[in-house]
Amino acid sequence: MQIMVMKTKKAQLKIQQMAFMLMAVTLFFVLVGVFVLVVKFSGLKESATALEEKNAMLLVTKLANSPEFSCGNGFGTNRVNCVDADKVMVLKESIEKYIDFWGVSNIEIRKIYPKIDSEIICDIGNYPNCNVIKMRSKEGSGTDLSNFVSLCRKESFEGEIYDKCELAKIMVSYESK
Amino acid sequence: MIKKIKKKAQEEMVGFGLIIIIVAVILLIFLGFALRSQQKESVEDYEVNSFIQGFLQYTSDCRNNLEYLSIQKLIFDCNNNEICLDGRSFCDVLNSTLTGIVEESWDIKGDRPIKGYELKISSNEAETLLIKKGNSTGNYKGSMQDFSRSGNSVEIFFTAYY
Repeated sequence: MQIMVMKTKKAQLKIQQMAFMLMAVTLFFVLVGVFVLVVKFSGLKESATALEEKNAMLLVTKLANSPEFSCGNGFGTNRVNCVDADKVMVLKESIEKYIDFWGVSNIEIRKIYPKIDSEIICDIGNYPNCNVIKMRSKEGSGTDLSNFVSLCRKESFEGEIYDKCELAKIMVSYESK
Repeated sequence: MIKKIKKKAQEEMVGFGLIIIIVAVILLIFLGFALRSQQKESVEDYEVNSFIQGFLQYTSDCRNNLEYLSIQKLIFDCNNNEICLDGRSFCDVLNSTLTGIVEESWDIKGDRPIKGYELKISSNEAETLLIKKGNSTGNYKGSMQDFSRSGNSVEIFFTAYY
């Protein structure tokens, strides 16, 4: 009888030991899992921001290189990030037809260099002696994105036509979803 | 009896040791995978890259017998000691124009996020131009563009410090 009680007590002790061991191992695995998750998701916000930035830049770059804006072959070889100012001035007149096509609320091209101290908004009357081409007169709301482009036009000197390219920034406003 | 208990305790310790080793191996495999998937692809800096492409196409006020020259053409012919029709050297025009362009494009005055910048142009591994302003912080965005014409290779580096 005494031996039976002793054996049962020993078995209980064993079961208890096993339970503790199982709990310890489970806890260990949970901790490892938490550690791995923390390591994995720590850079998630940074990656999301970088991706958003990349997409935004791609949108602006895509716009600058679209046939409606790009220099195409009008200025010698095909150029990247080159906007035809003459084309844009014509497009400005019928921008309402196009604005939904790109999914943006406003597009603005601002000359950076050579610098003109005051802001002169371009229209058919003062072009090219101006520095801001606003595709839409109303202020765009939402997120603003910008990228550097080369703003080119045809210029004449002593009766000779040549290509004149200046540095500009294309700015796009779009409603954030 | 004591010998038997000791042996059993040893066996349990060996078992525990084995579990620890297995868990450690699993942990190492997990960590290996986690760290490998963290290798981010290098995100190209479109703004700096577009800036370089933009200024290369800029038409300067330096004219030769044929046309007004772009920055790209000035860079190529700067080392040949060529001069514009008005007598200025290509290198002087390149320096003054690029200084103006960079100053207007990357404002470092006051509380602006840009703290400094560095523009380096090297031709055939020799430095042609260096424009540096502001502080070189540890946080930066940079881009490099290289091109060649008739055996001459040109490399342009631009770094904006935040």
